[in-house]
Amino acid sequence: MSVVVQVPGGQRRGPRLPKFTLAVPSWAWYLLFFVLPLAIIVVYSFGYKPGATTASSIGLDRLSLDNYRTAVGDKVFASTFGATLRIATVGTLLCLAIGFPVAYWLATRVGARWRPLMLSLLIVPFWTSYLLRTFGWRLVLAGRGFPSQIAQNIGLLDHPFSILDTRAAVQLGVVYNYLPLMIFPLFVALDRLDPALREASKDLGAGRLRTFLQVTVPLAAPGVVAGLLLVFIPLCGEYVTPQILGGAKGFMAGSLVASQFLEAQNWALGSAMAMVLIGMILATIGVAALAALGLRAIVRTAWRVDVGDTGGPP
Amino acid sequence: MTTQTPVAQAAGRARARAGTAGLRRRRRIDGPAVSMRVWAALVIVFLYLPILFVVFYSFNRGRVLLTWRGFGTNWYATAVENTQIQHTALTSLIVGALSALIAIVLGSLAGIALARRGGRWTRPFLLLVFLVLVTPEIVDGISYLIWFVRIDLGSGLLRLVIGHSVFSSAVTTLIVQARLSGLDESLEEAAADLGATPRQAFRDITVPLIMPAVLAGGLLSFTFSLDDVIVSTFVSTAGTSTLPVYIFSALRLGLKGDIAAISTVALVVTLTVLGLTALVLRRSGESAEEVTATLTGG
Repeated sequence: MSVVVQVPGGQRRGPRLPKFTLAVPSWAWYLLFFVLPLAIIVVYSFGYKPGATTASSIGLDRLSLDNYRTAVGDKVFASTFGATLRIATVGTLLCLAIGFPVAYWLATRVGARWRPLMLSLLIVPFWTSYLLRTFGWRLVLAGRGFPSQIAQNIGLLDHPFSILDTRAAVQLGVVYNYLPLMIFPLFVALDRLDPALREASKDLGAGRLRTFLQVTVPLAAPGVVAGLLLVFIPLCGEYVTPQILGGAKGFMAGSLVASQFLEAQNWALGSAMAMVLIGMILATIGVAALAALGLRAIVRTAWRVDVGDTGGPP
Repeated sequence: MTTQTPVAQAAGRARARAGTAGLRRRRRIDGPAVSMRVWAALVIVFLYLPILFVVFYSFNRGRVLLTWRGFGTNWYATAVENTQIQHTALTSLIVGALSALIAIVLGSLAGIALARRGGRWTRPFLLLVFLVLVTPEIVDGISYLIWFVRIDLGSGLLRLVIGHSVFSSAVTTLIVQARLSGLDESLEEAAADLGATPRQAFRDITVPLIMPAVLAGGLLSFTFSLDDVIVSTFVSTAGTSTLPVYIFSALRLGLKGDIAAISTVALVVTLTVLGLTALVLRRSGESAEEVTATLTGG
């Protein structure tokens, strides 16, 4: 970071407006089209679906927790929320497992000459239409497609691919779609690490694995956290990928919410489901954060380096 | 965030040289490096596989998409003649341009304020920007639907523009802020010392400095808008919807060649815009890493 030198005589002239003046349009825009719309979901989640005779899309004259009871209590809904949590957790961890070696390789092993090309190769799919990428998998995985035929011809399979329209296809699709969102923050974090730190660790006698686990991983932790959040949160709200790849079996929580709004026209229940979804996301992040802190404490105790009697800090 | 002092850049270059030299020396015995390279190659193939399939099959001459009947551009002709595709593509372009315009105005102003007029308001504002960026899109979608019905906003075009502009403004804000924070404020102070009014200093110094970031933010906003499915699905009206909404609904009825063809066209448009953005950033002297960080919203 560059150092900003405060020049005493460099004050602005003219009448001073409050510092946030230039941000006022943004404040107003976010308030009007982000905060208020979100607040109204909360209100709607306590309402009820009005009878067919009224033109209104919501009844708000008696508020209750009924929608929450339905969203959590109904067997189909509850199992869909459970499946969503499973797909999102497995998907996020798979993204980390697949993405970390790529980001590490790019940050530590690719020279300055090849790096821009490799980065572009990884970015281009990310900027390709989401729909195109997702329905492309229908072509790759189709039972009548040529990968399926090749697999049968060389004796790998004795029947055509049958993965489409299952939860497995949704799992594959979300890992595919969110992988770049994991790789980029990991790469940025690993790229910022000074290689001198790794070299110092080696000079001090640590092996490769130990250097990786005790130097690289802890220092890259912010990038890992950013990647996990960037993947997990939107993945929980997925609605397009299950629709395209999962068919009737691939329903996720996002699909439930959408169907309440677009098909069943039960906006109250849909709003409550959205709130449950948000609660589920926050609770999972909270549990994961606690687990990570606990793990860190244990690891720190186990790995504490005893520097002997140096007389404490100077 | 994406700033580097000249010293750090020089160190980076030296490091890169040392890195490649080290690689050359170790190459013969470096098992982990080889397996990482193979892994990275596999991941890149994985990332491109479905895209290549769509592009490939869009040139299928046959009527059934998955049955290859030779090379042909029939599906492109069919797609271009489809009035719904024409109509929704036009809407997409208009919505993309207008929402990018809003994002540029709001994002530049807020970005300048964050970088140059920071204070106690910064934290809550950044928290709000962060919330805008992380809220699952399905939640945004239903909240807009409820809100637009509530405030009686009937125009599908306006709904789409507003719906797309919020996220884009947040991204543009961060890009402009990152760019300006990385530039020394003494430039503007020097202008003031040399007798420039705040207005002149802003027009002649600040605006040219942030131009690349503003442009990058605008182009990214445009591609976000062009690619958005979820928010658009919820806010579009019967008469006004975007190309991705049309494609999404067409996909439910099964795969057709014209969808593959129009998706390929959209892919070329997006990549052109993306290439232009990268070029603008590179021209203004950003390193490849900074360009990446900007393009991925980091």
